Amino acid sequence: MTIQYYIFMLVNGLSQGMLLFIIASGLTLVFGVLRVINFAHGSLYMIGAFLAFSLSTLLSGGSLAGFLMLLLFVPPAIAVVGFFLEISLFRRVYREEHLLQLLLTYALVLILDDLARVVWGGDPRNVARPELLAGSVDILGLALPTYNVFILVVGPVIALGLWFMLYRTSAGNVIRAAVSYPDTLGSLGVNVSWVMTSTFMLGCWLAGLGGVLMAALANIDLGIGMEKIIECFAVVVIGGLGSVGGALLGSLIIGVGITFFQLPFGRWALVFPYLMMALVLVIRPWGLFGKPER
Amino acid sequence: MAGALITVALFLLPFILVRLGRTGEYWIWVTTEMVIMALFAMSLNLILGFGGMVSFGHAAFFGVGAYTVALLMKKAGAPLYAALIAAPIVAALVAAVVGWFCVRLIGLYFAILTLAFSQLLYMVVFQWYTFTGGDDGIHGIPRPEFLGPINYYLLCLVLFVVCFLLMRMIVNSSFGLTIRTIRENMERAKFIGINVRRYQWLNFIIAGAFAGLAGGLLAELNRFAQTEFLHWSKSAEPILASLVGGMYSLVGPALGSALLIFLKIVLQQSHRSMVEMWAIVLGLILLVVVLFAPGGVVGLCQKVLKKSGS
Repeated sequence: MTIQYYIFMLVNGLSQGMLLFIIASGLTLVFGVLRVINFAHGSLYMIGAFLAFSLSTLLSGGSLAGFLMLLLFVPPAIAVVGFFLEISLFRRVYREEHLLQLLLTYALVLILDDLARVVWGGDPRNVARPELLAGSVDILGLALPTYNVFILVVGPVIALGLWFMLYRTSAGNVIRAAVSYPDTLGSLGVNVSWVMTSTFMLGCWLAGLGGVLMAALANIDLGIGMEKIIECFAVVVIGGLGSVGGALLGSLIIGVGITFFQLPFGRWALVFPYLMMALVLVIRPWGLFGKPER
Repeated sequence: MAGALITVALFLLPFILVRLGRTGEYWIWVTTEMVIMALFAMSLNLILGFGGMVSFGHAAFFGVGAYTVALLMKKAGAPLYAALIAAPIVAALVAAVVGWFCVRLIGLYFAILTLAFSQLLYMVVFQWYTFTGGDDGIHGIPRPEFLGPINYYLLCLVLFVVCFLLMRMIVNSSFGLTIRTIRENMERAKFIGINVRRYQWLNFIIAGAFAGLAGGLLAELNRFAQTEFLHWSKSAEPILASLVGGMYSLVGPALGSALLIFLKIVLQQSHRSMVEMWAIVLGLILLVVVLFAPGGVVGLCQKVLKKSGS
């Protein structure tokens, strides 16, 4: 139990958290603009992971170019799926009550998960890491798994990219306006339904990216969608529904928390996200970064 | 009147089914499950339809009931009747604790908190190997000699009818009216001096107790209890049943639940591929109901009746 061991654990936890952030940020973005909690977000992430697997067998994976291809093609593919889901289904229920929205997305979970079962079957799969990312790197005399370090780099890049997009571009302005004043935005002549569609696609793109990154990190199977969506709920609730910054904080809390609670509590550490989620909801229902509902 | 006739028919059903040999026996088992799941769906609907609160964690109380029966009968050697009395009581106690926190929130936040608590319980049951058997569950719950398939069906049906009458009484009582007032207009309910949280809390506990009984009955039917009983996807089942059946009536959820189970069994028996495809079918049904008939079957019937009446 040296200090190095703890650093090792910290890197592990942080990379888990970053991966979770990439997925959960999509969920929270979509909620912020569409006001719909998308149960199917986890399923889209899972399909992203399986698509990455299929494509990698096609590309005889393991090469760096192949892995970059996955990163380049799979997330947009999921975004396209999202496009069709939004214009055909989600759009119809924005004005309905929460229950119908939740059930619509739950219906999608049933359909997408079962389609994935039909297409890919129940066996666990994984994607070979490219050689460059497969080994370990020496940082400060510590041998850290390269891939985890890679995720540790990708996560902040995505976070920064999202921040830049939301706060420094006109598209971001429109999205943020759609979060706060959708009606005013509409009356200013902005096509709000396109804002919604593109935000949804962005959320799905993030789910797909998370899927690709996950597929090369650990085994993927049909259960990962359901498992991840609940973790994402925990993240989003802890950070505050709709807050991307909150999602970052929530993800890191969950990722690092699970890793470190494993030391004293073993498998019981998996209870941690739900405990945190319940705790935050009881004490501060709008989350650490959110604002109380109007 | 129609209700009495249907009840009589349900009581006679197993004696007809038993003449059909093996398939008949299988259908007795299926109808028993239908009765139990109908009770589960109706219990949720006290919160969902009448209370207007979406709970995504109702399986927690169902599971607690199931594990109460399993543990009492398998580990403590308690008789069935004692276990079936304990199941709703324990479930109600758990619901009292969980509900105390949950009713402080409304809308989406209520839904997510119920989900969080149920997953918390799920993880506890999942991890606590020495007590709950973890993901192995508890198998081999003893079954009293005299309870053959038919008798067990009749026992479940009697309990179902009793619970149904109880729930009807609750829904039509001043308590039930208050709950519906809160659903329609919470602000106004507060203004006229109703202690909204307390009513919602009591309603939550009552619903939890009925769910616990349903869980206990299912554990005894299957003769096992497993973690899946508490999983959040199990919480979705009574919601789907309520939606399909129609959640603004008492029988709607029971109807929806029976309908979905019937459809599932028939489809799965019609072709092997349907075993894999059932979730897709269920998802499509759900989509259609959400988009085109949010009132469910009962709502549709009322619409049709109204049209033909006018």
